[in-house]
Amino acid sequence: MKKVLAIAAGSVLAACGGGDSTEVSGDPFCQAVLPRVAAYMEQARSQHPTPSDPRYGGTVVIGSIGEVADGLNSAISADHSSTQHQQFVGLMTLVNYDAQLNAQPYLAESWEISEDGRAITFHIRQDVYWHDGERTDANDVAFTYEVVTDPLTAFPNAAFWDHYVKEPEGVEVIDDFTVRISLEPHSEFLDPFRTLGILPEHLLRDVPHDQLAQHPFGEQCPVGNGPFVFVEHRSQDRWVFEANPAFPAALGGRPFVDRYVYRIIPEQTTLLTELLTENIDVYLAPRPDQAQQILDDPNLELLAYTFRNYVFVGWNSRKPQLSDARVRRAITMATNREEIVQAILLGYGTVANSGVPPFHWAYDDENVPTLAYDPTAARALLDEAGWRDRDGDGVRESADGTRLSFSIKYNTGNQQRQDVAEIMQAQLAQVGIEARPQVVEWATLLQQINTPTLRDFDGVVMGWVTEFKLNDMDLFHSARIDQPYAWVGTHNPEIDRLLEQLSVTVDREEAKEVWREYQAAIVEEQPYTYFYFPDRLDGVNRRVRGAVMDARGEWLNIKDWYIDPASR
Amino acid sequence: MTKYLLRRLLGAVPLVLGIATIVFFAVNLAPGDPTLYFLSPGMTQEVVEQTRINFGLDQPVHVRYARWLGAMLTGDFGYSFSHSRPVLDVLADFLPNTLLLSACALGVAFFFGILVGTYQAVRQYSLSDSAFSVVLLFFYSMPSFWLALMLILTLSLFARNVWEWPIWFPASGMTSTEYDFLSFGGQVRDRIAHLVLPTLSLALVLTAGIARYMRGSMLEVIRQDYVRTARAKGLSERVVVFKHALRNALLPIITLVGLYIPVLFGGTVFIETIFAWPGMGRTIVEAINTRDYPLVMAGSFFFASMVVAANLIADVLYAVVDPRIRYE
Repeated sequence: MKKVLAIAAGSVLAACGGGDSTEVSGDPFCQAVLPRVAAYMEQARSQHPTPSDPRYGGTVVIGSIGEVADGLNSAISADHSSTQHQQFVGLMTLVNYDAQLNAQPYLAESWEISEDGRAITFHIRQDVYWHDGERTDANDVAFTYEVVTDPLTAFPNAAFWDHYVKEPEGVEVIDDFTVRISLEPHSEFLDPFRTLGILPEHLLRDVPHDQLAQHPFGEQCPVGNGPFVFVEHRSQDRWVFEANPAFPAALGGRPFVDRYVYRIIPEQTTLLTELLTENIDVYLAPRPDQAQQILDDPNLELLAYTFRNYVFVGWNSRKPQLSDARVRRAITMATNREEIVQAILLGYGTVANSGVPPFHWAYDDENVPTLAYDPTAARALLDEAGWRDRDGDGVRESADGTRLSFSIKYNTGNQQRQDVAEIMQAQLAQVGIEARPQVVEWATLLQQINTPTLRDFDGVVMGWVTEFKLNDMDLFHSARIDQPYAWVGTHNPEIDRLLEQLSVTVDREEAKEVWREYQAAIVEEQPYTYFYFPDRLDGVNRRVRGAVMDARGEWLNIKDWYIDPASR
Repeated sequence: MTKYLLRRLLGAVPLVLGIATIVFFAVNLAPGDPTLYFLSPGMTQEVVEQTRINFGLDQPVHVRYARWLGAMLTGDFGYSFSHSRPVLDVLADFLPNTLLLSACALGVAFFFGILVGTYQAVRQYSLSDSAFSVVLLFFYSMPSFWLALMLILTLSLFARNVWEWPIWFPASGMTSTEYDFLSFGGQVRDRIAHLVLPTLSLALVLTAGIARYMRGSMLEVIRQDYVRTARAKGLSERVVVFKHALRNALLPIITLVGLYIPVLFGGTVFIETIFAWPGMGRTIVEAINTRDYPLVMAGSFFFASMVVAANLIADVLYAVVDPRIRYE
């Protein structure tokens, strides 16, 4: 017995006292690259001593539910936290946006556009170094452009390059710090260069493009040129970055904090606890029902701002019940979206009428008609469209006996979308429409709606995150009806025309007018019942100073955040 | 014994392969498509096809099965879609963390389960026996994720912010962010502090079960003639209970190890998610959600193997501690 107990106790102690599990990645690429980064950083620290300002120092910890899925591999990423880390933490983009969403110099010191609008020449900064000591130059930009425009790479945001001339003719290195890219004149053509992190050509040029997705550069040993240097990534646990002492002084020099840690905590209750117990400084995107607890804590503040994502119900116009735009308009009018924002988001959100977010220059709530909550008008519209309750069962039928009844699908584990579907069910019943909420597992749902030959849904609650360059081509243009995202199957020549016009209108003032027309057309067509732009919420410990977060992202000015020296 | 072991091991091979096969087809035939995770507007169908080819999903399912099986037998589990690296590397990252947590939970559960059960049996029908029964029944009926949230609420949030206790436990992760800068002793303390809540959440339910079994088993043994003899010899109660009775009462408990290992692995799925423990249970669930076929298959394969192995070990242990049992 003693033996058994001793073994048990021994193994518990041995296990719990636990060996060290810090692993140096065994990959040859990482083994070659990491020592060079360490050596260069050593040198950079001695050459660029930290200025004597009390704001320098300390660690900031951000907690969030999800991984930085693609790390710093900008060639394959589309998800939010990955692109944010590429733009503002580890890599650099050619341009940045100011608060009015106008492009500002960043890695590109300046740029000019040719007279005919068919070429853009970027002049690259000459004082930016990769974290292994190589200088960033025009070849890196050209290389990155070649990678992302090569179909083999499967760069997810291929729409960026719709009007660009693809490699190899599309890009030309003029000298070490000048690069020219060819394009067709089109709207918001700089937007891709706001989000595309430039990659190191000297490290990745030999990697076949279809293998970039699996390359250890992304998550195991990224080498960037941005304000923060990669230190460590423990999968599903944390990313650690440290300040880059050699970051160009003209761009603000090294970040104030010494270290930045990103922690992955998949459960939101745990995240809130960690924020309240000051184990993390920033809790990204708490639920609206957690907002009050953050507001109640004097050490914390709650940031709330409109973001680029919206929630909607898409209507499959291939279905007989939903093919008539009048029915879709009636559905929207019978739904009290204002009340839904109050009920589901506790007021942290704005009712949406199209995919144009409220802060965007194309947004216009004065001159664009909206479908306000009006059940009486909805009933009249349904009568007019020929849907009447002919058998007295409370549900309307068409002349041929089709019932105005459909399912609304949403994905498992998403309470907000479930609430949307259920509230809709109750409100639509008031005007004689039978809506049946139906929950489907996420991967299955994606397949049902994305597969062009399937489109197995009536209504579906979904969400989109838009770029600043708004582009509904894939959603509503009839030429793309056989592509994955034409869920609702819109076929409307007017919308086609406006979408085409929007994509090539360069001037914003000119574009605004087209945007108004387009938004009015969308309201008329109602391919989606747009619900809301939820506010993005962030819980931030007050010891973190200077954090600015808005639709451009949470990491926007992370290099300018500093920790209150008194509470470090 | 050796013969028996060999036979069991050989028997385990088709079992594990069978499980792997079922998992393969269940995962591959389930609706959903891993490439859809890499889709976003602006991607054309050609890009989707390219991704599919990059993943090797352009082949029919029986060809993929043959390839997978062939590769697996040579120790190659392929590339994880969502982690973008070899599946074995992914497992090497996560499996040890799950094993650490499970081992701690198992250790704690057996230690306290045996202790409490023995105590209850010795003090049968006393007030403390009933009190323990009520408390154990409570823990036994609580789902472990609820228990986990309550532990976070009390031992982390309230302990620090409301009651201002000197000791409170971190609610997530395996180590704190300043771990690398701690002294060795500090690192050990830091790790133990992070283990407390997840271990307790997993162990409490098991402890309750083990204590019930232990109490029953002990009660049976304590009435045996040899225990009476030991008492008659004038041995102290302590020696009677711990030396003569406990050893025999432990026999049926050992089989519980084999029974509880699958329960434990199932429990880690929730516990790892709630406590942000970078382990295998959470990783497999995420892999299922993103249809990361190679990772799901390899993960289930390893879990299945470990459950089979745990059962085998329990059976062997049984023979080791009970000389009456001989496997032929």
